[in-house]
Amino acid sequence: MSPYNALIGGVTATLLLGFAAQAQSDTLADIRERDVLSVGIKNDYPPYGYLDENNEIVGFEIELVRYIANELLGSPDKVELIPVVASNRIELLNSGRIDLIMATLGVTEERAQVIDFTEHYVSAAGASVLARQEARFDQWEQLEGQNVCGIQGAYYNRTLTDHYGIRLVNFTALPEAYRALQDNRCVAMVFDDMTLRQKLGEPGWEGYKIAVEPYEYLPMAGGVRKGDEAFLDAVNAAIVKAEGEDRLIDWEGEYDMPPSDHIAARAEAARAVAE
Amino acid sequence: MFGLDYSWLGDPVYQRWLVDGVWVTLQLALVSSLAAVAIGLVGALGQTLRLWWLDACIELFVEIFRNTPPLLQMLFFYFTLTQIGFTVTDPVTGLQHPLLSAFVSAAISLSLFGGALCIEAFRSGLDAVPKATLEAARSLGYTRLGLFRRVQAPIAARVCLPSLTNILTNLFKTTSQASVITVPELMYAAGQVYSDTFRTLEMMLMVLLVYVTLVSLLAWALTLAERLLAYPGYGKGF
Repeated sequence: MSPYNALIGGVTATLLLGFAAQAQSDTLADIRERDVLSVGIKNDYPPYGYLDENNEIVGFEIELVRYIANELLGSPDKVELIPVVASNRIELLNSGRIDLIMATLGVTEERAQVIDFTEHYVSAAGASVLARQEARFDQWEQLEGQNVCGIQGAYYNRTLTDHYGIRLVNFTALPEAYRALQDNRCVAMVFDDMTLRQKLGEPGWEGYKIAVEPYEYLPMAGGVRKGDEAFLDAVNAAIVKAEGEDRLIDWEGEYDMPPSDHIAARAEAARAVAE
Repeated sequence: MFGLDYSWLGDPVYQRWLVDGVWVTLQLALVSSLAAVAIGLVGALGQTLRLWWLDACIELFVEIFRNTPPLLQMLFFYFTLTQIGFTVTDPVTGLQHPLLSAFVSAAISLSLFGGALCIEAFRSGLDAVPKATLEAARSLGYTRLGLFRRVQAPIAARVCLPSLTNILTNLFKTTSQASVITVPELMYAAGQVYSDTFRTLEMMLMVLLVYVTLVSLLAWALTLAERLLAYPGYGKGF
């Protein structure tokens, strides 16, 4: 969810505003006729969608896509996985090349004008803070005036400097920032929560912890063409069913993702509705 | 105009970042220019003593710092020195902290890089003083020091001013590389602003304009000095 994605999404959104209004169709009937579901996915974004050592596309979202295909068409294999990038995924959807976007799509107002979002199946953590085990701070406010290593151009830099008064020491790339943190140039380092948590699992990082939790979460959802009600309902029903069966929690474990409160809460809610 | 959007310039946060960035650029340029000229003077004077071991040391210094990229030198002072133990221990926490800050690392590497170029420029100025002039002065009874102070240095200074202008304007522009080791100078600020606003073209045009203005001012001041100091045969007069 880089700001770049948001921009490109916004531009695409504007371009396709007129087009999307006409593109009303019954995708559900259409895919049943074709007997295959075309889904735009990421193939370079672990843990959501990436290539494993056998060059197979795997990941958290891929599991969900296969589950949905199974619900809609009766087989997890009746799916055509089409790698997309942030700049083309909405256009591919609205031009009819794909039926569904499941590609780390962040929910934004601009995009909601040109596509419909499915259930928000993931709440992706924003930035969190990595620091030594001894660190005694656990709130963003406590970092005011402190040197914190980061990355140049990150979308949250403005909030951190302007709102929290943090003195960011921003590098051009991650390896330098990690090095500087280990050299004690900064009391902590700020970056995407998921990346930092995976870093903690690497050798040499035993003395570190996530000291401050993210201050924001960005919901991620699937995307369908606007006004495609029957298809949207079917996809949503499949997502909620998977949630109620704790499948998303299983996939979190399978792909080494930190357990998310959002997913656990949605699983509870899905079961509550079903009863 | 031309589809350029400068509305982000009205944002007080971006204004502060950019003004602070220009200020840091100026500080870094000033500190490293003064230090570079000082290193150049010491080095060039050292070479006039005709001591073989001192000459060898100065030559080695010039070869190392003139022939390596300033960016590499900055990374060396910032990261490598810390790695090989240039650290101070915090008495409270017992943690090892780097000795050199980002600004100091950048200032040192720019000073040494500029200094190496200055030594060569000043040496060439001293070498350019005609032998006949020196012999004439010597025959008039100048001591070695008096000869240097009254004849050799004044001529050499005027000869090497144009190349000094080149070195200092180059050094000013090279300060932009300090953004890589997190010195929050103009390029560092500009990068964050265009990452936020996506107005890359507008930002680059503005940064270009700021550098052209500042470096032109510097070059103009040095050219003015050249003219004020000029005397017949050396330097460009009015």
